[in-house]
Amino acid sequence: MNFLTNFALAAPRAFIWGAVVIAFSLMALVAAPTLSPTIAQFLQPLSIDADPENMLVYDEPVRVFNRERKDTFSLYDLIVIGVVNDSHESGVFSIASLSDIYDLAEFAKNIQWANKQGEIEGVVPIDLITPSTMEDVRQAGPGAVDFNWLMDGPPQSEAEALEVRDRALNQPILYGSLVSEDGRSIALYIPITSKGVSYRVAQQLRERIASYNSGDQYWITGLPVAQDQFGVEMFIQMGITTPLATGLLFLLLWFFFRNLTLVASPIMVAMLSVTITVCLLIATGHSIHIMTSMIPIFVMPIAVLDSIHILSEFHDRYPEFKDRRVTIKHVMSKLALPMFFTSITTGIGFMSLNFMPIPPLQAFGTFVGIGVVVAWFLTVTLIPAYIIMMPERKFKNFGINKTGASGEAKSFLHRTLPALGAGAIQYSRPILLLMIPVAAIALYGASQIVANDNPVKWFGKEHNIRQADAVLNNAFGGSYMAYLALGPDQNAQSLDLYTDELEARILTRELAKREMLASLVRDISKTVTSRTELLSALLATVEAQLHSAKSDIEISAWEDALSFLDIERAQTEIFKDPDVLSYMSKLQAFIEQDAAVGKSNSVVEIIKTVYRELISGEDADYRIPDSAAGVAQTLITFQNSHRPHDLWHYVTPDYQEANIWVQMKSGDNQDMNRVDALVAQYFIDNPPPRNLTHQWFGLNYINVVWQDYITVGTAKALVGSFIIITLLLMVLFRSILWGLLAVVPLGFSIAMLYGGIGLVGKSLDAPISILGAISLGLAVDYAIHFVMRSRDIAKEQNNWPDTARNVFGEPARAIVRNVLILGVGFLPLLIAPLIPYKVVGVMLSGILILAGIATLIILPALMSLLEGRLFKFRPTGVSS
Amino acid sequence: MKHYLLIAVVLLSFPISTTRAQTPDVMDIVVKTVEAMNYAGGDVKARIDMRIIDSHGRERIRQMTMLRRNETAGYGPQKYYVFFSRPSDVKEMVFMAWKNTDRADDRWLYLPALDLVKRIAASDERTSFVGSHFFYEDVSGRNIDEDNHEFIEETDEFYVIKSTPKDPGDVKFNHYTSWVDKTAYLPMRMEYTNKRGEIYRTFSVQTVDVIQDHPTIIDVEMEDTAMGGKTALHYSAVKYSIGIRENIFSERFLRRPPRDYLR
Repeated sequence: MNFLTNFALAAPRAFIWGAVVIAFSLMALVAAPTLSPTIAQFLQPLSIDADPENMLVYDEPVRVFNRERKDTFSLYDLIVIGVVNDSHESGVFSIASLSDIYDLAEFAKNIQWANKQGEIEGVVPIDLITPSTMEDVRQAGPGAVDFNWLMDGPPQSEAEALEVRDRALNQPILYGSLVSEDGRSIALYIPITSKGVSYRVAQQLRERIASYNSGDQYWITGLPVAQDQFGVEMFIQMGITTPLATGLLFLLLWFFFRNLTLVASPIMVAMLSVTITVCLLIATGHSIHIMTSMIPIFVMPIAVLDSIHILSEFHDRYPEFKDRRVTIKHVMSKLALPMFFTSITTGIGFMSLNFMPIPPLQAFGTFVGIGVVVAWFLTVTLIPAYIIMMPERKFKNFGINKTGASGEAKSFLHRTLPALGAGAIQYSRPILLLMIPVAAIALYGASQIVANDNPVKWFGKEHNIRQADAVLNNAFGGSYMAYLALGPDQNAQSLDLYTDELEARILTRELAKREMLASLVRDISKTVTSRTELLSALLATVEAQLHSAKSDIEISAWEDALSFLDIERAQTEIFKDPDVLSYMSKLQAFIEQDAAVGKSNSVVEIIKTVYRELISGEDADYRIPDSAAGVAQTLITFQNSHRPHDLWHYVTPDYQEANIWVQMKSGDNQDMNRVDALVAQYFIDNPPPRNLTHQWFGLNYINVVWQDYITVGTAKALVGSFIIITLLLMVLFRSILWGLLAVVPLGFSIAMLYGGIGLVGKSLDAPISILGAISLGLAVDYAIHFVMRSRDIAKEQNNWPDTARNVFGEPARAIVRNVLILGVGFLPLLIAPLIPYKVVGVMLSGILILAGIATLIILPALMSLLEGRLFKFRPTGVSS
Repeated sequence: MKHYLLIAVVLLSFPISTTRAQTPDVMDIVVKTVEAMNYAGGDVKARIDMRIIDSHGRERIRQMTMLRRNETAGYGPQKYYVFFSRPSDVKEMVFMAWKNTDRADDRWLYLPALDLVKRIAASDERTSFVGSHFFYEDVSGRNIDEDNHEFIEETDEFYVIKSTPKDPGDVKFNHYTSWVDKTAYLPMRMEYTNKRGEIYRTFSVQTVDVIQDHPTIIDVEMEDTAMGGKTALHYSAVKYSIGIRENIFSERFLRRPPRDYLR
């Protein structure tokens, strides 16, 4: 590997300028499509993607189903606005507050714009759920039913305001959804054309809200807003924390090496590596996702890590040689191979994320892997080139013999590390014995890990989104939307079977046209794919016959046929069947018992409410009519309202499929999982009529699916790359034992990491799952350096105690400096208001420390125990 | 975009007349239009096939027989009786209305499966007619004095009238424009413009037949871009002046349909 360094030493300027030019060219390439879309139209512009749905590939069955059902039921993602007033005695049910709410609803209707393709984006006005856009079907004195808007305009009196409240509370579909259960607050549900517009819509709403002064609090939340907001803040975080981390790294490097010009070189390498990696990511058409946004934060420490090894060794050796070229050549001869090995293994650790069927994680793994290779190349070329280009005088007082402020740090490491090594060797057995319970506890902890994620919890507790979430889910049914699709069992719906039955039924009827009808059934059944299609085609044919019929006898014969088929079709309309509806009603009551479920709405609530208002307006009549015709006529009454289309959010016009809108108070995957399991069990315990089947959809459910992938995927990726790295090390060391030994710190770090997460009860979410990969990369890194340097030194020293003493000299110092610089360098992530960044910051430091401990304590302990098998020392006396 | 195209087509097909001698009396046109559309023949019986097509292209049907009787000669109160025959689960359902020109109409619904007669007391007449894209007032005819009518122009075939509601808070549209056929006095096209200036509902007549000397709409559609989709009505078996008795337009006859008229 030294040839690369030699090239760089021969032409240092060419290498440095080459790298800078490449980085800037890539930046230009990436910026071009955004700055000048027409010229650079063949390039990909930068795009941000904060949509967790994209954790799954576009064609993932759960996403396909979700899209189809959302289309079938005309459902849109919702922005939820909670309006609360603590000071007014009636909450928001006052003239002032309701006037603002009316204004906001009118304002929201006009938040629309045309996108580049000319499509209208923004709010979907027809489906707004607000007091002024909702229908209130109710009794209007004896014998009359009134179709009216819940709130026609701003109330003219306080009594009118209270009437709006009472009417809303009396509407089961609005109770807990539009009006809070305590009758003091209102929630508005703003449907939007796509999740991607939610931030823009929310911003416009916020501006409007800022002009109100009735003392109301407006809380905006909902998964789409949270996600879009995250996308925006993600960028801000990248802009703040990355430079901060860089600055701190620079300070730490300077503290250890005391040479400003020199320590600029690892920073340069790190920044070039990050720039090149991120530009490659964008230029290849990848969007910046929450996962890929962390690439800089991950590439940075890895890039600096190798540089620290070089600087550390260079720093300790320079006083010996007093010549840059000789020193650097000596350093590189020691380090080239370990650095190459560590880069390969780290790269593999990240590439292992490709085992997960989660596109953003694959992109993350691939590009951090690429970043590792780039960083390795730049480290072995640019650091030596940079050192050679620095004026000799800068090194005048450089190195170990210099005393000063840093002398203490140096002497501290010099004093303590050999003692640490000696201790590890002396107490190798107790240390290793101690590791047995530690490992057992870690394994127990790892077994306790629960996968759970909730995009809203990516924000800190103080964040406006989290507060809004708390307020809304406390007062209302819930801001997390899941939907339960119900439909007929397709297998039980076999067309062939139905064709036979229908034909048989026709032939037994007193129908003048029965023979003809039966043969029509036969013929048409060959050209259609479903019952519904068969009946529609039959009806159309019979209608045509009816229209062309001339005689009264013919007309009446075809009319009979038509009414027979009409009844047949009515029987396929399963969601008009009172048995089915009452099953749904019980199912909803069952779901609502779960603590995470606040509210559920379906066609059942519409039917029961309209029926109640038709009959008496009393609670006793809040029920499902006894016959399918009764249901049909109740529903057609509802369709005489201002919002007949509301029905089609809950049932398809052919009444073959229905949808239960489940409002959940929690977006935690665990809660969704539990409700999912409960419903599945309910279907087993209570066999549904008409072989109903069920399937969840909606954003809250999609999150569960990718979470499952992450749990299984993390385990698979970790095990997969662990095996690959072990095999690779066995080959590189040409020894099974050495290979196994080198992965011990890795196994320890991972066990401690996941064991710790399990023990403290932190759930496994997306950011934590990727930390396994970096622990893989970093932990093996230190071990490889330690093992390779031990083997080298053992050849010189020819006995274990001297080898150990030497290894605990410069090589151990390089590792400790690494741990300290990187461990502290990433703490700026803690100031980020976004939880995943904080978690990564803490964990990264933890992993580095764990890997350092494992390498400097467990490894030497093991090595002294296995000394005889590991080393082949020449017999003493024979050696020189 | 589609609407601008439609307007363009309409404008191009009917060049503006430059030789208009004098502006016709707008109220005269409005009254003649409502009379041609809703008052022809003193009374009428017709079968209506309704197809409701939603934004997904999914179709629902309703089939009904309509009886209509004028209470006075010309524009004035009248009575409607609409008897449903299909789909089967709403068979024998009846919708009845007494149209009043001086106050809100009286409306009733008879639901046979629930054995229930209900008076409908809606806040306005712009509720859906049995789930279709037609409002109740599209079917019964909007009272002419609810709007200010303005003569826009006269083309070779049409009078173009712009109607703006007198009480803008009452309705969701800003105004509507009608293209009235100059000979038949039927509104061949009506476009409803919302407060943002976009056309969102379009009433368009496809087929007109002359039945018993009365130009009669046979096929008509209402398209609604806000809701998506459209509703098509097809009139058949239209018979004018059959002498429908007044007493059948009563609550008593809701439960006991007048079979002789409905055959």
